[in-house]
Amino acid sequence: MEPVILPVLQTLVFPGFLFLIAVSFLYEWLDRKIYAWMQLRAGPALAGPVGIMQPIADFVKLMGKEDITPAYADRRIFGAVPVLMVALILTFWAVVPVTGAAGLVSFRGDVVFAVVAMTFFCMLIFLGGFSSSDRFSLLGAERAVLQLLGFEIPLMLSITGVCIHTGGLSVSEIVSWQAENGWSILGPQAMGFFIFLVAAQAELERIPFDIPEAEQEIVAGWLTEYSGRKLALIRLAKDMELVFISGLAVALFLGGPIGPSHAGLEWLLYPAYFLLKLALVVAVLALVRGLFARVRIDQMVSFGMRYLVPLSLAQVAATILWRLI
Amino acid sequence: MGIIDWAFRKSPWILHFNTGSCNGCDIEIFAILTPKYDVERLGVMLKGSPRHADVLVVSGPVTRQASGRILRIYEQMPDPKKVVAVGTCCISGGVFSNGGKGACYNVYPGLDSIVPVDAYVPGCPPKPEAILEGISKVAKKAGVD
Repeated sequence: MEPVILPVLQTLVFPGFLFLIAVSFLYEWLDRKIYAWMQLRAGPALAGPVGIMQPIADFVKLMGKEDITPAYADRRIFGAVPVLMVALILTFWAVVPVTGAAGLVSFRGDVVFAVVAMTFFCMLIFLGGFSSSDRFSLLGAERAVLQLLGFEIPLMLSITGVCIHTGGLSVSEIVSWQAENGWSILGPQAMGFFIFLVAAQAELERIPFDIPEAEQEIVAGWLTEYSGRKLALIRLAKDMELVFISGLAVALFLGGPIGPSHAGLEWLLYPAYFLLKLALVVAVLALVRGLFARVRIDQMVSFGMRYLVPLSLAQVAATILWRLI
Repeated sequence: MGIIDWAFRKSPWILHFNTGSCNGCDIEIFAILTPKYDVERLGVMLKGSPRHADVLVVSGPVTRQASGRILRIYEQMPDPKKVVAVGTCCISGGVFSNGGKGACYNVYPGLDSIVPVDAYVPGCPPKPEAILEGISKVAKKAGVD
């Protein structure tokens, strides 16, 4: 009986679904607080102590609201997209290590598996915008795919750099290599970390790359027609994607959850290290969000293709040279 | 129903609609988003799409041209929804009400002749504090539905 119950608990509670949902609400709050601090504001303050319950209030409120499906929308796809988004990130979260070197699931090549999650997410965004049958949604969906074209290659290449650097194709290999030889950000991968963060900001559709949901131009982009329960699930999925990508950055560049620890205390200290490093990455992403204004579409694509791709290629070349020496 | 009431009180998302205002009320509405008043403390966010919004904040005299659009935007919002009329023009027609003898030929005598209104914020323009008060009162009411 015991060998069945433990994996089920791990999947459902910690470090699986419930943990991910709680952490994604927490880090949405942190993100909004830092963003407000950058603008000399207080940010959410009245829902719970220092506003920490604000994302939960938003979620519950949206769950309680009327759920409108536009008459011309493709009902099945329109309704399926939010659920699929949540399911996608919940599934792929299993490869992110939280309690030790390996995640819930670990196999050779799971780094590639993790990157595919972001591509799938973008495909779902396109489907959601396309099935809304709304001009703004369609424009937002097109822009999301354009953004994918611009930033998927640098993201892949920056992760390739890590794989070459550490000589492992699975997250657990990469994390345990870093536990022995120091964090991979300390080598030639500092550039890779920078590229990963920029590309992650674009994948997450946050300022300065919030082109698919540009409020001032196309209402709310691909989200325009979503309301009520569906919007709540999409917002949850986006928060979880933020945590997922930040968790991936922690695992690949910042040594994962491994840190100095007493024997027997790893179960407590490793998740704490993980959450601290995660907070660091989320803080950096929030600072970037507060510092920049939105770029134009052509600037975004040319920045991705003209600067980020050569930069990431150079970084991969430097990593290969570093390995040979 | 406790937690749902609480959530509705803590997270009113607003949508701003200008029916032909002189911009006096609009800059006061945007003042509540700025660091000095920072309405995100109350959980308020300014949304672009009517599908995401809970509170419709209307400024300006309701002209005949805008009346159809405001009705359409009101109907696009998901229930439960609230409306706040900001400024004297929006409440009664203001200077366009022809000295209290009824509105001009192209202006309705107030927003409540088009859509049900939950809070009136008088003033020309009203202070940001007053608009904040109106939105927070509407948010408190939202939970009682």
